[in-house]
Amino acid sequence: MGIAETYSRSRQFVDRRPLTHSLAAAAGVGLVLYLLWVLVSQLVTGQLQIHELGELMWDGLMRGLVIGLAGVGLSMTYSILNFANFSHGDYISAGAFSGWATTYLIAGLGRADIGSLLLVGAGGSVFGGALGIGISTTPLAVVLGVVVAGIGAVALSLFVDRTVFKPLRGEDGITLLIASIGVAFALRYLMQFVFGSDVRGTTSQPPAYSFYVVDGWVRVNYHDMTLFVVAIGLMVGVHLLLQRSKLGKAMRAMSDNGDLARITGIPTEGVVRWTWIIGGALTGISGYIFVLWKGTLAFDDGWLLLLLIFAAVILGGIGSVYGAIAGGIVIGLTASMAVIWIPSAFARAAAFAVMILILLVRPQGIFAGRATA
Amino acid sequence: MTLLRVRDLDAGYGDLQILTDVDLNVEDEEYVTIVGPNGAGKSTVMKSVFGLTTHMGGTVSFDDTDITGANPEDIIRLGLGYVPQNDNVFGTLSVQENLEMGAYILDEVPKDSLDAVYERFPILEERRDQKAGTMSGGQQQMLAMGRALMLDPDLLLLDEPSAGLAPDLVDEMFDKIDEINEAGTAILMVEQNAKEALRRCDRGYVLVNGQNRYMDTGRALLDDQEVRQDFLGG
Repeated sequence: MGIAETYSRSRQFVDRRPLTHSLAAAAGVGLVLYLLWVLVSQLVTGQLQIHELGELMWDGLMRGLVIGLAGVGLSMTYSILNFANFSHGDYISAGAFSGWATTYLIAGLGRADIGSLLLVGAGGSVFGGALGIGISTTPLAVVLGVVVAGIGAVALSLFVDRTVFKPLRGEDGITLLIASIGVAFALRYLMQFVFGSDVRGTTSQPPAYSFYVVDGWVRVNYHDMTLFVVAIGLMVGVHLLLQRSKLGKAMRAMSDNGDLARITGIPTEGVVRWTWIIGGALTGISGYIFVLWKGTLAFDDGWLLLLLIFAAVILGGIGSVYGAIAGGIVIGLTASMAVIWIPSAFARAAAFAVMILILLVRPQGIFAGRATA
Repeated sequence: MTLLRVRDLDAGYGDLQILTDVDLNVEDEEYVTIVGPNGAGKSTVMKSVFGLTTHMGGTVSFDDTDITGANPEDIIRLGLGYVPQNDNVFGTLSVQENLEMGAYILDEVPKDSLDAVYERFPILEERRDQKAGTMSGGQQQMLAMGRALMLDPDLLLLDEPSAGLAPDLVDEMFDKIDEINEAGTAILMVEQNAKEALRRCDRGYVLVNGQNRYMDTGRALLDDQEVRQDFLGG
């Protein structure tokens, strides 16, 4: 009920300001035309080659899939529990560390001492590249790493829910939000304390295929493909879960109307627990494959990703799982392709500018009001 | 046999007490309505039966089981269904999914109940894949009732089933409720359309300021000079 009212109130607010609305739309269309013009002129003058454009798009898609997958977890907990969980980014890092510790352990057993392997080579004691880690070289270590990353993030999110969020259920969203920011800091500095603050290389150079595109080669390596397959597979899985399974339908029912779900006899606490489990698993796995793809791991990887994830989720219409995926891809593409128009240092700013622009035109987000559906 | 027994119920929201010493019975297969002026606490009685208010005293029992303060899941399991007045369908779920949610506590969706609901409300079968939120108010009301009927309850609580319906649909809705009752489900209904409700029910309660004022057969309440004057607009 609460959400519906807030929603309709904000709708009215928006409807009363049609001028800003259409101005923003006009500015957006103008900007898009200008950007297209710059792009086309760069292509025509040869400043930017088509295969380079292809590479940027592929890079953006990879980034977008990570953001989208992590965003699904964030959006699910938002739509069912009604609060924006700022500790989500650190669940990503925690999942990544637990998964990578497993991968290091399996790949490096007997070649380095167990302590340094479990600390994912803290302080430069072991290097993932030296262990030859990769999907083709150490497939078992990577697959088990993915699984443990999921389990680790699930365990963490259930623990935090039990100790922090559950006692606060029924408080308003702001209380929960601030609590989650506290959890975020606590987790991050705990990880820094345990694993150290250095950025480590985690993988050896994976084999790659090259595709000839018009005027040059676009490289797609094994880890790109792993990320693609895992992310798309999980997204399809979430879709099937939400649309076909009894639990998924109950999750959608709860995000639609929690009070009605309760009086219909849906065991809401059970659904909440499953939401953390599924959201946590997606989040941990997204952290793992992100690290696999970029080849480096640091204690604040998840935190740095969090704002992009929020941008994606808000852009897609907060609470919508499909919106999170779509928003993630838009934000990922923007962050990667922005270098065509602006210096790379501004790429992050560009992603947020796109978010703000789209929200000005469509304040409800792309997939507004569709809850988890 | 008495299905629902409310005794000396005091209830409200937070510190605000709405109901004082409310007594109410519903017998097996009986059709009972609660009428009364706005703010009399009619809906609060329903919500209190389902444990959605702050309990302040008294008891609610169903089928001789004390359900005071029980959680909705357990109450539903005993054979009690509830159709709230507002927001009573999952708008983003399809019609069929809404009905499936009604049988969530069972391991599998009972095929015969689903068929029975579709038979009772053919419009729902026609629109089984449509999102509930895109249907008209009357269709949503039927869906909400259908959902509550999925477990074939012994008693159905209906909160203002005719609210917001076009006049020609109001009669149809009341006919449906008659049919559900004739098929053996007891009804406890809150209605603003008091005359029509009293005409159709077996027994009625008049609730004023959160307290029982009158109780009699529907016919007798309709004929009662005072009730007519004060609550039925003469």
